[in-house]
Amino acid sequence: MSETTFEGFPHLLGEWLKGTGPDADVVISTRVRFARNVQGYPFTGRASEQQRSDVLKVCEDALKEIHLDRSVVNIELDKIEDRKREVLVERHLISRELANGEGPRGVTFGRGEMLSIMLNEEDHLRLQWIKSGFDVDRAYKALCKIDRALETVIPYATSDRYGYLTACPTNVGTGMRVSVMVHLPALTLKENIDYVFKAAQRMNHAVRGLYGEGTRAFGDMYQISNQTTLGRSEEQIVEAIKAIVPKILEFERQRRGQLYTEERSFVEDKVLRSLALMRSARRLNVQEMMSHLSMLRLGIDLGIINDVPMRTVNELFILGQPSHLQVNEGRDLPPAERDTLRADLVRSRLSAGTN
Amino acid sequence: MDCQCCNKKPARIRICDVEESAIEEQLNVCPDCFNLIKRYMFDMNKPLMTTVDVIAEVQGLLTASGETALATLPEAGGITPVKSAPVPACPECGITLSEFRAKGRFGCRRDYEVFAEHLDPLLERIHDVQPARHEGRLPASAGRIEVVEKQLSLTDLRKRLAAAVAEENYEAAARLRDQINELEKQPKLGKTGE
Repeated sequence: MSETTFEGFPHLLGEWLKGTGPDADVVISTRVRFARNVQGYPFTGRASEQQRSDVLKVCEDALKEIHLDRSVVNIELDKIEDRKREVLVERHLISRELANGEGPRGVTFGRGEMLSIMLNEEDHLRLQWIKSGFDVDRAYKALCKIDRALETVIPYATSDRYGYLTACPTNVGTGMRVSVMVHLPALTLKENIDYVFKAAQRMNHAVRGLYGEGTRAFGDMYQISNQTTLGRSEEQIVEAIKAIVPKILEFERQRRGQLYTEERSFVEDKVLRSLALMRSARRLNVQEMMSHLSMLRLGIDLGIINDVPMRTVNELFILGQPSHLQVNEGRDLPPAERDTLRADLVRSRLSAGTN
Repeated sequence: MDCQCCNKKPARIRICDVEESAIEEQLNVCPDCFNLIKRYMFDMNKPLMTTVDVIAEVQGLLTASGETALATLPEAGGITPVKSAPVPACPECGITLSEFRAKGRFGCRRDYEVFAEHLDPLLERIHDVQPARHEGRLPASAGRIEVVEKQLSLTDLRKRLAAAVAEENYEAAARLRDQINELEKQPKLGKTGE
């Protein structure tokens, strides 16, 4: 369980990128996470180096005890290079906070990259399960299995009054966050996004950028998640997200239909220019790549593009990120060189006939 | 631009709420309102509030019985201690209420008990729920907290003892040994369940 099998991993890609699952035309993935802490130790932010490594040990032993050690990759984050940690962030396996943190900390994830367990993040344990498409029930059930097994071997910090106790008061209670990653190009083009933000907020749900809090929504990718964790049961949180997300999906689909029927040449032009540009460009920065990929996704859904599979587009969103390029090259690259490599990657994946 | 608090005097000061190093909210106010807002914000008897919430309350004061209500606020620059007894620090992790407010993170699970009284209004606002009470499941083993805690602290103490001996810190080792003996003397709690 202690071997660090990072090599080779950046080439494999997770289940959640396959572009299938319910509502895959709009929803990339559904993620459920639980924040948990081990009783008897201060929260990570206030724990000494020794206490942090003790917590790590307690958790790793517990993971062995529930027989999670056979099919997982386990990485001690304080012992790997920066760019490798960045790859894990780009892959959504760890948070930026954990990557930039200090002291003993780690991540354990399944080979399909559906399960990921962050150790010594802001909370001792952050368990998450990602499924392709809009699939809250299955992600929730899968994660519950791990959590319920772990609670028999780890004494979680809880109280009757406040539930699962977390370092940040915004997570206390169930410690549960459901995040649905959605692609909303039509709502963005039609300038309806602010309306979605406000409506979601009124229902205690937040809409954020691709890489979580405070990040921008590159490529028209957004995360919708529950804001409140206290006073609502896990089931209620699941039901709420299942009530809100479909409304946003319907709104997006309606706008896509409208674009196609009423503004066909406008949307066709945008999509096909993006495809042509990506098939020819010799330099692409990450923002540019993401905004053109967004148009490609839209074009595939509207039937404007038929020779590019959705999975290819989803994968490029990840493989074209800066640290993925650098790790595949085995060294740090200056931005200009990254842009060239990114353009090469995109061209080779999108060239006609290879798919 | 007019002050966004009193809507009368010209705004001269901008207040920004910063969260996760990103600016969440920006409000422009006049110096008079700023003084009131400042007094309100440093009132340690009140839970941590966003500027928008503070302004709403200050506006309330301005329209209501002005003078008497204002008198209830601590003095301007109110970092000077307020009259009520200070909230003690957490005996387990040592964090104080103002430290928590500055960082927005607790130090350990005990903080939820130690600061409970100050916590409910904050939690009610964050989670838009009243009362601030957990709903739904808890681990099946939650009833056995005491047992687990005792075992944990014993293991902890033994580990520290071993470390102290290794470092040849015999003074600390002796103290730890006494603590372990003390704990072991206490009647064993029967294991329940399983």
